Amino acid sequence: MDLAFTPEEQEFREDIRAWVAANLPSDISHKVFNALHLSREDMQRWAKILGKKGWLGHGWSKEFGGPGWNSVQKHLFEEECALAGAPRVVPFGPVMVAPVIMAFGSPEQQARFLPGIASGEVWWSQGYSEPGAGSDLASLKTRAERQGNSYIVNGQKTWTTLGQYGEWIFCLVRTSTEGKPQTGISFLLIDMKSPGVTVRPIRLLDDSVEVNEVFFDNVEVPAENLIGEENKGWTYAKHLLSHERTNIADVNRAKRELERLKRIAKAEGVYDDTRFRDEIAKLEVDVVALEMMVLRVLAAEKSGKQSLDIAGLLKIRGSEIQQRYSELMMLAAGPFALPLIREAMEAGWQGDAVGALHCAPLAMTYLNLRKTTIYGGSNEVQRNIVSQVVLG
Amino acid sequence: MDFDFSEDQDQLRDAVGKWVQKAYTFERRRSITAEGGFSAEAYRDIAELGLCGLYVPEDMGGLGMGPVEGMVVMEELGRGIVLEPLSQALIAGALLAGYAPKELAAHWAPLVASGEKMVVLAYQERASRYRLDVCSTKATKAGGSGKGGDGWTLTGAKSLVTAGDKADAWIVSATVDGKQGLFLVTSGASGATTRGYGTMDGGRAAELQLADAPAQLISLDGLVALEHGVDVGIAATCAEAVGVMDKTLAITVDYMNTRKQFGVVISSFQALRHRLADMKMQLELARSMSYYASLKLNAPATERRAAMARAKYQLGQSMRFVGQQAVQLHGGIGVTDEYIVSHYFKRLTQLEMVFGDSLHHLGEVSGRMQDSAGVFA
Repeated sequence: MDLAFTPEEQEFREDIRAWVAANLPSDISHKVFNALHLSREDMQRWAKILGKKGWLGHGWSKEFGGPGWNSVQKHLFEEECALAGAPRVVPFGPVMVAPVIMAFGSPEQQARFLPGIASGEVWWSQGYSEPGAGSDLASLKTRAERQGNSYIVNGQKTWTTLGQYGEWIFCLVRTSTEGKPQTGISFLLIDMKSPGVTVRPIRLLDDSVEVNEVFFDNVEVPAENLIGEENKGWTYAKHLLSHERTNIADVNRAKRELERLKRIAKAEGVYDDTRFRDEIAKLEVDVVALEMMVLRVLAAEKSGKQSLDIAGLLKIRGSEIQQRYSELMMLAAGPFALPLIREAMEAGWQGDAVGALHCAPLAMTYLNLRKTTIYGGSNEVQRNIVSQVVLG
Repeated sequence: MDFDFSEDQDQLRDAVGKWVQKAYTFERRRSITAEGGFSAEAYRDIAELGLCGLYVPEDMGGLGMGPVEGMVVMEELGRGIVLEPLSQALIAGALLAGYAPKELAAHWAPLVASGEKMVVLAYQERASRYRLDVCSTKATKAGGSGKGGDGWTLTGAKSLVTAGDKADAWIVSATVDGKQGLFLVTSGASGATTRGYGTMDGGRAAELQLADAPAQLISLDGLVALEHGVDVGIAATCAEAVGVMDKTLAITVDYMNTRKQFGVVISSFQALRHRLADMKMQLELARSMSYYASLKLNAPATERRAAMARAKYQLGQSMRFVGQQAVQLHGGIGVTDEYIVSHYFKRLTQLEMVFGDSLHHLGEVSGRMQDSAGVFA
């Protein structure tokens, strides 16, 4: 049993670090380190830089043009990016739909869609949740009726993250109402420029428009956009969930943000307040414990073992820690977290933020991250799953 | 970066696990508690498995093994809530081999390893609470007074000495001209008296009074040595607690899958299932930090101390939650003496307060905090 990374893994880390340092634009990392607003252009610029290196699909196998990294290498890559202030990669294309296309799509579909995803040129959105189908996703109602060589799609998706930038959307649609709900779902790729597709932003409590409703009104979708077989979509979607296990804990970002919390607490004069400092100390231990759990899962994957029961805990814990550091940062600013001065959340603004400039985004970030315990399978649903495994 | 156990470690785990299952039943434990909380026979059994010499080098009659082996063994003993304090033997072996003068180590380490002598740490005082640097026991160099030219005498009072009235010798912290040293005092030495008592978890401890009791010097750098010894104890206690919690969770799951109310097993109820999920979370966080503690036990002192504080804080939180919730999920029988879970709860309660409770270690973590974050920081 050994905590240290191997010399090869260390060398890999150093290579990644050097590449990121040379290729991550400093105006982008500045925004990330200071929680300032990232534009669509910022996000896609980084995606294309990664894409050019062949690292946007950093989890892809060599067969599909990916670097073919093992679980530890993927973790080290993600860590070096996060620590250097790289934006989170928009996952819908490279992390979510691409593996499904690779595992279940036809060679034609792979040739057609994967290059655009790998390069970062094409922006993908996810069409899963509906107003009536959140935790109970299988009850989804958006209908796809086969007519000749097309599917006619009618319905509504919701919570579509960054759907306002999306060019293509992968959807779970209902193709049958017979039998159990899960057995009547198909996986369909839809061009968002198709007539009948309408995107309407949803304003969130932090005043951002991070998510959208997407309406489908008699949208004609070529039948060749169906992935795999009709009514097998639920299986394909579940396949996704058995991947990206440790990334969901976001521990790399947690380390970066914990360091930022300490800086803010010092600047605000609360780092030497015993009671506040103790709260940071608790989080310090929480982050170490989470990282240890992530390493245990990685090590298990590395030695070809099942990471069992622990992987299910990572999302629960990771999301709680995200909420806690954003909460403590806001509390560190105290009353100076309260002014809502939007201009102060843009890079380069020179005005008076009332409090220090670093206070400006803290309340909105805290509000925004309340979503983390809700999305990706709510923590209550995650606890259902964990307890099922424990009870045997 | 590897968390697999070697074949040897798996075999060691098996051997200890089998002994606990076969020879340390709940009934045996109950009778040990009734007789005072310590069984010399059981301690001998543990010694016969070679475990008392785990941290004693092979050329001193021990197994010369490391923290991971210690962790594996302590976890298995925790699973059976074994009362006899192997962690004390681990501490004694490490301190004698690592800090004592050659002759003293050569004499005592083999005796600890074989189990012939039980040596325990006696550092705590009424006024020290969890601090290691508060010590009013005094050491005086003995000179020509008939007690040996090179020797020392100790005067003071030590508290909460694990199985202290059953030990053959104590490793005692005492100040020499205001600076802490570490000494060995044999039971039966003149001026050394004990008062034994049961502890809340069914085990045994003692008060130790020293009045000009003859002692041998282990180290004049006593605080450094004591901190190291306590860290060995913390890592061992963390591992032990993981075993206790693991079994506590298993007992609780079993109960919930059996007990019926309202026509269904109570494991059907979502509120209770979520409680179990939270217990599982605490167990795995604790196990992760127990690995961390053992893997940091041989780190340089500053790094090691910080790591043990973090680990003991997490373990304390987890122990308390798992213990409390296990009782809760059992309903009424959870608070009876007859049923087993209260005994696991009591052991968890005690272990939190050994070598520093959560609040104490939170203070340590807080005081040692750096700008960086994470396992490798």
